[in-house]
Formats: sequence, structure tokens, C-alpha cells
Amino acid sequence: MANLNIDSEKNRTYDAIVIGSGISGGWSAKELCEKGLKTLVLERGRDVQHVKDYPTTNLYPWEFEHRNELPYAVQQENPIVNRCYAFHEDAAHFFVKDKEHPYVQEKPFDWIRGYQVGGKSLLWARQTQRWSDFDFEGPARDGFAVDWPIRYKDIKPWYDHVERFAGISGNKDGLPELPDGEFLPGYPLNVVEKYFKEQVESKFPGRKVISARCAHLSKPNQIHLDQGRVQCQNRTLCQRGCPFGGYFSSNASTLPWAAKTGNLTMRPNSVVHSILYDESKGKAVGVKVIDRETKEEMDFYAKVIFVNAAALNSTLILLNSKSNRFQNGLGNDSGALGKYVAFHNYSARISAQYEGLLEYKTDGRNPAGGGYIPRFRNLHKQETDFLRGYAAGFGAYRSSWSDESAVGSDLKNSILSPKYGIWGVGSHMMGETIPKESNFVALDGQQKDEWGIPLLKISVDYDENDSKMKKDYLDTMEEMFTKAGFKNIQRNESSQAPGLDIHEMGGARMGKDPKTSVLNSWHQIHACPNVYVTDGASMTSTSTQNPSLTYMAFSARAVDHAVNELKKGNI
Amino acid sequence: MFIMAGGIMIATSCDFSSKAPSIQLNNVKLNLDDEQLLSELVETIIPKTDSPGAKELNLHLFVMKMLDDCTSPEDQKKFLEGLKAAEKVKGKSAEEQLAYLKALSNEDVFFNILKRRTIQGYKNSEYVMKNKLIYELVPGRYNGAAKIDA
Repeated sequence: MANLNIDSEKNRTYDAIVIGSGISGGWSAKELCEKGLKTLVLERGRDVQHVKDYPTTNLYPWEFEHRNELPYAVQQENPIVNRCYAFHEDAAHFFVKDKEHPYVQEKPFDWIRGYQVGGKSLLWARQTQRWSDFDFEGPARDGFAVDWPIRYKDIKPWYDHVERFAGISGNKDGLPELPDGEFLPGYPLNVVEKYFKEQVESKFPGRKVISARCAHLSKPNQIHLDQGRVQCQNRTLCQRGCPFGGYFSSNASTLPWAAKTGNLTMRPNSVVHSILYDESKGKAVGVKVIDRETKEEMDFYAKVIFVNAAALNSTLILLNSKSNRFQNGLGNDSGALGKYVAFHNYSARISAQYEGLLEYKTDGRNPAGGGYIPRFRNLHKQETDFLRGYAAGFGAYRSSWSDESAVGSDLKNSILSPKYGIWGVGSHMMGETIPKESNFVALDGQQKDEWGIPLLKISVDYDENDSKMKKDYLDTMEEMFTKAGFKNIQRNESSQAPGLDIHEMGGARMGKDPKTSVLNSWHQIHACPNVYVTDGASMTSTSTQNPSLTYMAFSARAVDHAVNELKKGNI
Repeated sequence: MFIMAGGIMIATSCDFSSKAPSIQLNNVKLNLDDEQLLSELVETIIPKTDSPGAKELNLHLFVMKMLDDCTSPEDQKKFLEGLKAAEKVKGKSAEEQLAYLKALSNEDVFFNILKRRTIQGYKNSEYVMKNKLIYELVPGRYNGAAKIDA
């Protein structure tokens, strides 16, 4: 029996364990496997194989039973996820339903999740912008959170590295606040977006409108073809999973690449309960897993552990990893674990119409979505009564319409001869929120899920800084729209809860000082350096960029560090 | 031929109120008579011309499906009331049915659902998307400044 146990333990021992297979976990897995480490990837959800498990990907609109609407009962049963813009008949199977995985909302928080191999990388909006030192230096300059322990120079080579492999389209815009990268050709602004760019850049010095940068193969390189991915075909049906691999996802890119090395073991349906800490060794030794279906409990072992379960779930796992040494959660000597959660404020939009350029339309579809306005507010110095600023999306569209007021053959004729309307334009804000101790997540004291893990209690809210910033965004955009000659300007403030931005960040923040942060400059837990957290949980502040690209770069950089530390015998 | 014609005669004059509709419904109760009436009404909304009308495209079945699955219980009830009231034009001429529908207000829940779902089903039908207003699953291009042909 003893031998059997030893064998069994040996069979459950790897060089590295990665918790989570989404955008950051996929990268951790790829880098670890490429560097020769036998790597176990634990994914709590079901398996989703590229193409094979995209059941709706090639369906025409008439092939959807409800023409892409979700049944009334499904919408009623899922008030939270139903608020997500992509939760429709074509992609509902990739979203967590409200009742499947409950959580406790001390304050309203729409927690949008995708529990499957690939996680939310199948569903993301694919916008990719680099951080600059205007972002990394934010907390230190403006006196909030703690200073980031890294700067742009630390992460730049890793942005280069991940961009080359993932495939990022964009133009070299030469903006210090939004560094250029290793780009595939950018998608063009359309004629009205270009008009707005010229208006803004001539009338508002310092403000820019650029083509949105996105993780689409506008013109694939050999490295993308080698992944089995080909040029994006402008379907803009990405949330279904892409049969061309036209956009970056773990499923299309990093996971199959990792598998090809022969070093990857994928274990779907593996709910991570906690990380096992060995006090005598002074480090983590493995991970406790509950099988999602059988509820069987089992331990897996490794020299190094990457936590990539997505910001709040990574934090939950650390909080639930209690030991004699770490009674309040792994690495929580500072008491900062679970705190300083922040997000992006998406709660304002503005729309208008433009009566010019009527001799043009668009043809085909733009996977980038249109234009992007990098943060200009409080960029070089503090200039308002609120901290930080916002980036904004900007898009123009010209749709055709038909008068549908009649009934009978007049109606039919009208539907079959649509006319072009005037141009519509729209923008949404992506505001930085300030991480605060009072915005936190914690383990619920009583309630547990069906795997015996405490429910996560979320207590996150907007503050006065967010309200002021939101008003400034609307005022500023209204002024820019007015100066551009746009008409019928509509300000639209939503009361959406935090979380619906799906940019929740923090909970295990990086910092220089172990007394006020959880992770060091290499994403290692200060007091348990063979555990790395390289997803949104590690974010010290949020700035205004869509965060996924930064998590990819964090993961690749941290793996490089971990492998070197293993070689040196430091972890 | 006689048998065929006779068969059709019998079919159209028969009482189907006790027969189940041709698609399975889970939430609302409709019978084959209701289905027949809906097929007439959707055809009145989008009639056959030189191209197929709503009945031929089975849009009455789509309206029934959306009523059953994608409509609140309150609106389902109102729809059924509206459908009951519309029975008076069952089997009447297209002109009479058109006049009946036109007299209903746009706020009328029955009329609103019937018309909206008929139009939705029509625009998203395989026939229209392949032959009239072409839908491209795989455009493979983007031009942000395409000239509109004058």
C-alpha cells in the first residue's frame, strides 16, 4: 500500500501547476511548457476544444431557434449575466448562469464569469493597449494605493513577446501615453471616425483619436499560421468562438501550443479549493482540488504554482488557503489580501448624429470596432478636482432603415428597399477607479458552494471621484461632439453596478513593501515566493487600458523569472 | 385530382379547435385553428407578391415560437385575448383582414407582437437573407469609406 501511495503521489506531481486556463493561465501554461516544465493546468469548468466545441460558430441568423434572443425564462432566471452585452443565444453556453455559482453582494456587483477551458478569453472584447509610465507612476504621483514595483521598461520586452505571438493589430501612433507595439496592420477608421479624428486633433491639442488596437490577425505572420490560425474574416461573431482563430484566445492559441510541447496536462472539471502550504519547507507544495462532477477531493503537487483564476477567484483561492502560518489566507501578512479591489467605470455613454459625408457607407465589418481615445485628462499634471481620467471608445456607423409603419404589400416593399440613414456616432467611457481598502472581497462566514468552498462576499462601490469623472467625460465629449458638428447629442448615464465592465482588478496587489501589498515586483507572494499571481488580482491600480494584454505580459515575464529562480534553487 | 381537391375541401372546412398545432408549445395553449388564423394574419402583414409571403415562409410558426418562449406571461395573456378577438376575420378576404389589423393601435399588445415578430422573422428568414437583403456570414473585408452608388 505504501508503494501505491508513493506512486499515486508521484503521478500527481508536476513541475508546475497553473490554476485557470483563461487569458493569463493560457500564457503561463504556454511559457512553462515551452521552457520544458511538466505543467498541470487546472480548469474548474468543462473542456472546450478549439472549433470542435463552438456549436454556434457557423450558424446563420435563421438557424437560431429564437433568432439570437434568449427565452424569457432564461432572462428572468439570470438577471445578473443577462445584463452582459454578449449574453445571447449564440454564446450563452460560455457564460456562468446566476444560480450555478452564487456569491454574496454586500453592494450590487455584476460578476460576469466564463467557467470553461479558455475562460473569458473566448468572450473578451479583444481590445489591447499597452500601459505606459503615465499609468505605472499614477499611484505614486497622485498619492493613492501604493507605488507599482515595476515600470514600463520592466514590462516592455514582455509586451513585445506576447504581442508577436498573440497577433495585435494597430497603427504606430507615436503616443508616449499609449506605447506602440509589435503590430500587425491596423484596421482603418471609417470616414466619419476619421473626420472626428481631424476635428478633435485640430481643435483640442493633446487629444487623439486612433484606430482601436485589437487582438485580431489583420495579416497573419508565420508564427500565427504555425498555430493553425488564419486571417480574421471580419465576421465580428467572436463570442461564438472563431473557426479561423482570427482573434486571440487560449483555446485557439496558447493552450494548443502548450500541448504540442508534450509537457501539458489539462485537467478540466477541477475546482481548486486551496493552495497547500508546508511550514517546514516554508513554501507551497501543491493544490487541493475538488472534482466538479464527482466531488472527489485530491491533491496535486508542484515546485511552482501560478494562480490565474481571474482576479476575484484568484483572491478567493488565496483567502481560502489557510494554514497555521497563514491563518488569514496565503501570503496575507499585510492584511491587504482581498482589499483594494477596483474596476473600470463604464457607466456613461454619449451618442449623436452626423449629417455630413452622406456619399459614403461602410462595407464589411470592422473587428476593431472603430476608434479609441487615449486618456488625456490629468495626463501630464493634475488639472481637475478628481484624480486620474478616462479613455473612450468612439465609433461611427451608417445603418440602413426602412419605414415599417404600414401593413401589407407596402410594408413588404418598404422592408425590401431599405434606405441609408444619416450617420450615428457613439462613445463610451472607460474610467480609472481608485483602489480603496473599503472596496473589498472576503470569504462569507456561513455559506459554502457545493464543493465546500466559502462563497465570495463582494463589497465594491463607486465613489465621489467616479461621479466627478463621469460628469467630466460627458461634458468633455459633448463639447467635442458639438465642435465636430454632430447633432442630436444624447448623454446617457447608466446606473450599472461595478463588475459589468468585466474589468475587476486587485485583491492581491503588487507593491514594494510586504507590509502593504501581497505580491512583489515579480508577482511572487512576498512570504511564499513559489506562488505567482499574474492575473487581474495583481493589479495595484487600474489605469484606463483594457487589461488583458498586460496580464499576458505579466504571465510571460513571471514564468521567465520562476524558471530562472528554480534553476538557481531559490524557490 | 378529385380526391386531392376533395381532401383540401375537407381540410379547410374541418374544425381543428381540438387539434394540437404543428409545433410543440410549452407555455401557451394554441390549437390548429389558432395556427390557421395566425398563418392568415402574418400573410396579410407580409403578403405573397412576386416573392414568397409570410405564410409560405412559416412565419406564423415563428410568431408562435416567440410567443411561447420569448414573451412575458402578461403579454402572452394579452396576445391570446387579441387573437380570440381576431377570430371574427378568420377566413375573410385579405382586404377585410388588413382593415381589421390597421384599426388596431400600435400599443395593442396582440398587434404589436404579431407585427414585430412577423417582420423580425421575415428579415431573418433564409429566403430574404439569401435572396433579398443578403447576409454575409464571412465578409472577409472592411472598407470604412465605400462610395454609395448614385
